[in-house]
Amino acid sequence: MAVAAKINPKTAPATSKKNKRGKLERGYMGWFFILPWIIGFLIFKLYPMLSSLVYSFSDYHLFKGISEWGLMNYQKIFSDPDILRAFGVTLKYAFITVPLKLCAALFIAYILNFKIKFVNAFRTAYYIPSILGGSIAIAVLWKSLFRDDGLINSILAVFGIAGPNWLSDPNWALFVISLLRVWQFGSAMVIFLAALKSVPTDLYEAATIDGASKWKQFISITVPMITPVIFYNLITQLVQAFQEFNGPYVITQGGPLNSTTLISLLIYNRAFKTYEMGMSSAMAWVLFIIVMILSLVAFLSQKYWVYYGDEDGRKK
Amino acid sequence: MKFKKAAALFLSLAMAGGMLAGCGGDSASSQPSTNSGANSGSTQAAEPGSEPVTLRFSWWGGDSRHAATQEAIEAFMDKYPNITVKAEFGAWSGWEENVSTQLMSQTAPDLMQINWNWITSYSSDGSSFLDLNTVSDVVDLTQWKQADLDQCTVNGNNLQAVPVALTGRIFYWNKTTFEQAGLETPKTFADLMAAGPVFKEKLGDGYYPMAMGEYDRMIFMVYYLESVYGKPWVTEGKLNYTEAEIKEGLDVLAKMEQEHVIPTLKKIAGDGADSLDKNQNWIDGHYAGIFEWDSSASKFIKAAPESEIVVGEFLSDIGDYQGGFTKVSMAFAISANSEHPREAALLMQFLLGEDEGAKIMASERGVPANQNALKVCTENNLLDANVSEANAKVMEWCQFSLDPLFEDNALKSNPDGVYYKVMAKVSYGELDTAQGAAELVSGITELLNK
Repeated sequence: MAVAAKINPKTAPATSKKNKRGKLERGYMGWFFILPWIIGFLIFKLYPMLSSLVYSFSDYHLFKGISEWGLMNYQKIFSDPDILRAFGVTLKYAFITVPLKLCAALFIAYILNFKIKFVNAFRTAYYIPSILGGSIAIAVLWKSLFRDDGLINSILAVFGIAGPNWLSDPNWALFVISLLRVWQFGSAMVIFLAALKSVPTDLYEAATIDGASKWKQFISITVPMITPVIFYNLITQLVQAFQEFNGPYVITQGGPLNSTTLISLLIYNRAFKTYEMGMSSAMAWVLFIIVMILSLVAFLSQKYWVYYGDEDGRKK
Repeated sequence: MKFKKAAALFLSLAMAGGMLAGCGGDSASSQPSTNSGANSGSTQAAEPGSEPVTLRFSWWGGDSRHAATQEAIEAFMDKYPNITVKAEFGAWSGWEENVSTQLMSQTAPDLMQINWNWITSYSSDGSSFLDLNTVSDVVDLTQWKQADLDQCTVNGNNLQAVPVALTGRIFYWNKTTFEQAGLETPKTFADLMAAGPVFKEKLGDGYYPMAMGEYDRMIFMVYYLESVYGKPWVTEGKLNYTEAEIKEGLDVLAKMEQEHVIPTLKKIAGDGADSLDKNQNWIDGHYAGIFEWDSSASKFIKAAPESEIVVGEFLSDIGDYQGGFTKVSMAFAISANSEHPREAALLMQFLLGEDEGAKIMASERGVPANQNALKVCTENNLLDANVSEANAKVMEWCQFSLDPLFEDNALKSNPDGVYYKVMAKVSYGELDTAQGAAELVSGITELLNK
């Protein structure tokens, strides 16, 4: 009561108004801070996306312009053998690289989670490929490793094995491209490593007392506890796999016999070599829808295999 | 606190402004030119020593071309101190995609080295490049043969570019490897076919008298068919060869593979090289012959320093005609949107037509098509002997010209072009030669009918 008596009725509304203005100003300041991002998003993301959606319903040629509107590009996508093949190759590529990369990243992260000598040096060494992996220089190196008389076949020859024609055999070329992506598991590994460190040690101690082997502990404790991170890595790697461009562009240019023509490479070729912007836009949108559907399936599936423990350890 | 707020506000606005500036580009360069264009004819003469001008000049090529061109630019800037030239250069890979988007977005450099077929691809209506007749008082067009200029002209009299050099394909042989096999370099097609088994027997499986990639095979096949049938490949938008005739050409290529004259495309792909001059098998002499542009002579010869590479003869026994074509190898064009077309023309004239520029550029882009440059280079013995020899043989032998659509990306781009697809499918055995011929005719006809 005494406190209330001290409040000057004339000044009280003024203070409230000031607070309100302060809140408002803070709100505006927030908008100012994100203004560069918003402008960038509108100009470099939203506008091109909407433009490509519009163009996808036209026969837009970079130098000849537009002469026809309609669904012809989408109809052609489902009848053009080159495009269908590229979608098939891309799916194959994604289904090879994503599981392999996740397994490799988790395996190495698990090993690097142990207290071993020079662990930081090992972590750095395994992370480096993900920094270098997307570069042209590494793609060129990859090409020289896997050529017919390259290092890989030379090593195989030492053991009396005649190596395959990695780059020129349509059955092997996609594997070479996939391997480059799998090799870049560093960033996924670092995320797994952080997740592994967050698994409570008392679970392992209890399991050890009960006589569980390391493998049993890994399968029954580690994997379930890090499923949210596995899920996160699955989604990001899936999206990245469908966007892969550098590897096939530099190493095989999509050959031999289009066996490594991923859809992103075909979109690029159609857009910037034959200037079929309308068709390229349509292919990009179909790719977008495929990735969205696969992501949606992954999200829907998480209730069956992803474990989100709350503070009490109960499943949410 | 107020200071912090003000600073934050300033930084936000500066960042936003920076992005907008980045998008907008230089206001001067993005403004449409008011004194350029094919029909404007209102350009002001550039006088040395007048207002400062900055030009952009782009080209592709290898290191030696870059060095010579930069040296020539320096000499130009010494002569015209008011003009600054910004060089934009790089390797061929991805260059066309770069230039085509620049042309489309009207941000192309003032002066450009272009491929001959780009005139058809990007400026068939004369809208992308300046009509050089409007700067004929700066560029001495009389120094080019009219027939060469005609190849760069659209819509009757709109001169889109001037040829830098004319070129055609010719054989280069690794004489050292042929001698190791106990053979002379081939003079006839029969010699070449006979060399395959000899190479295999005497030198081993990895040695071939010749190597050809997909596009090389296409050009070789056209050369072969022109020699046999005496018809140009395409005239007036029509393919002059039937499926049966093209099948004959594909059969010859298939036979060359079978007889160990050329390696399969699978073998070449397995070499892991971007091009034949970078292929270890060419460098060390395992592949002893190529069918390449005359302007590429020095590139291939320098790539195999341990061997003696000689310029070959056209094979005399293929048919009754002198097959093979010549074309403008590359040209110089001025952007229709250039704000300084006359200064760009000055640079063009200096590099291609003036004594000083011609001496520096010599045969870096082939034997000059400009008659004054050719005279200066010949008198001063500046032309690469191999390039000169190869060019002379091509110009003397080849009787056919080329339709610009022959080099359209829909046909020659790797790996989606029709040539690449058909040659690869036939070599890998996915198609037989009859099917390959049908696919080739269908793809070419579709493009010609567009």
